[in-house]
Amino acid sequence: MNVDAVSAVFREVLEIPEVTADSDFFVMGGDSLLATRVLSAVARATGVELEFDDLLDAPTPNALSKKIAEAA
Amino acid sequence: MTRHDRTVTYAELDAWVRATARRLGPEPGVVGVLTSRSADTVAALLGTLAAGGVYCPIDPAYPWPRREALMAASGCRMVIGEPGSAVPSGVRLIRLPEPPDPGMRLTRLPEPPDPGVRLVGLPDPGGAGFVAAAPDDPAYILFTSGSTGEPKPVVTPRGAISVVTAGLRELFGITPDDRVLQFASLNWDTCLEEILPALTSGATLVFHDHAYSGSLHRMLRMIDAERITVLDLPTAFWHELVHHLTAERAALPRSVRLVVVGGEAVSPARLAGWRALGLDTVRLLNTYGCTETTLITHAIDLHGPHAREGGPDDRVPIGRPLPHVVERITEEGELLVGGPALALGYRDRPEATAERFAELDDPDDPADPIDPDDPDDPDDPDDPDDPTDPAVTRRYFRTGDRVSRRPDGALVHEGRLDHQLKVRGIRVDPGEVEAQIAGHPRVGAVAVVGVPVAGHTTLAAYVVPRSSTTPAAMPADTTASLAAEVLDYLREHVPAHLVPHRITVVPELVHTASGKVDRAGSHRRYRSAAV
Repeated sequence: MNVDAVSAVFREVLEIPEVTADSDFFVMGGDSLLATRVLSAVARATGVELEFDDLLDAPTPNALSKKIAEAA
Repeated sequence: MTRHDRTVTYAELDAWVRATARRLGPEPGVVGVLTSRSADTVAALLGTLAAGGVYCPIDPAYPWPRREALMAASGCRMVIGEPGSAVPSGVRLIRLPEPPDPGMRLTRLPEPPDPGVRLVGLPDPGGAGFVAAAPDDPAYILFTSGSTGEPKPVVTPRGAISVVTAGLRELFGITPDDRVLQFASLNWDTCLEEILPALTSGATLVFHDHAYSGSLHRMLRMIDAERITVLDLPTAFWHELVHHLTAERAALPRSVRLVVVGGEAVSPARLAGWRALGLDTVRLLNTYGCTETTLITHAIDLHGPHAREGGPDDRVPIGRPLPHVVERITEEGELLVGGPALALGYRDRPEATAERFAELDDPDDPADPIDPDDPDDPDDPDDPDDPTDPAVTRRYFRTGDRVSRRPDGALVHEGRLDHQLKVRGIRVDPGEVEAQIAGHPRVGAVAVVGVPVAGHTTLAAYVVPRSSTTPAAMPADTTASLAAEVLDYLREHVPAHLVPHRITVVPELVHTASGKVDRAGSHRRYRSAAV
């Protein structure tokens, strides 16, 4: 899943258009509940089942995209 | 109780609880417990009650100043936790005994000394007598958000958990065949809805890491593999579950027969989504209650075999009172709750207690005298089985929730009378967060508001620097560094749910005509500045 695709997921989940490659999911208002939607979308697109701690670790589209590539 | 491949039988739990009580000693007072998501915390809870003590959960993930403040406010002299855990001076750190070996020999329990005595506690650590516990003796202390910046310690009596546990067993219909997922954090009262009805029914309480991983794919597979029958979920989490089941076309495992939700308003859209999933044999039960009224006071089946048509679902009802609950609605529409499940009050806070717990006359028939010759007189205050006795119902908790009644009798939540918010299902008073932020030396004034992000309530803070710098003269890097500083300061002092996701430094707050800070007005003026 590339950075743009992860950014698109953030935009859809947070309902906020201004998401860049370096936007922090939690600073933008994301919480542990909205995080489940990001994780579900990532699993659907890639088959990679990340956990909440992975998103805490890699809260931007840039970092999360790398994490997905590592786990795939 | 099971956790992955380890099982604790009832006999082993019983021995474990006794060993814990023995280690604490009789009447240990308030016992702080550094919680974990495991059977250990259940043993610590039951062991504390068995010893005649008062259980007080402390989240080890909280910053130290918060843990220290909670331990001080609880008055605990002992804390059960891992060796090396930090405790205030004067407080003794106690390690939980190891669970007993599987296959141990059981000894016969001693009989109560007097068959007429009703025992709330278990046989005392010495093995000879019993710890006497009365219904009015405190069972646990839990904290709720207070407007002054200090969390308020709610003291719940043993009689309350007895009556509510019995009521919930009935409401949930728990049997020994049930496998109840332990989902709720062990730091709040909801976990007791899972633990107590299950363990007093011979059911199995299931712990599993995949319940909290954030991956709903894993959670659903685990529910299937563990043959979970009862799920008790925060409403906000259930909303995400419905979204997931719909979007992924995933199935709820067939083992599940009851889904209990509570904590905030059920979204009509999510309820419609759930009803479209075809889960007609699964009970969906909405519940309402406050920490001060002990777990659940109102409930209603929203879908499944027991649900009945009530009215339009543009606002989903919170339900009807459980049998032990006495309810009143004031002229302003505030819900008052009375009955035997009320908390004793806030520990060491008589004013806060007097403000929220009201002594009111019996509304039904204050003039009706007690007939001393009629043993069934409903007004006899000495009848312990009658929850509507004037002597019991004279005390009410002011919930702060505005409600209305539907034609079918179910209550609908209309909003709060104060400014309290629900953040991830946890009650938050913005005043508490404001008081914490105001503790930062460079902050002059602050307003905290709830802001919806994708339908969830999050916190945003507007902060005015203490220095008298004129607004226009505030350099951008100063404001950015102050926001970051305040954020770091909060993370070192309060739990995560009290930390706003966004802090915006502003020149001044908006005030009302009477000179009070206008939180909503401040948000409206500066929201576009907050990025």
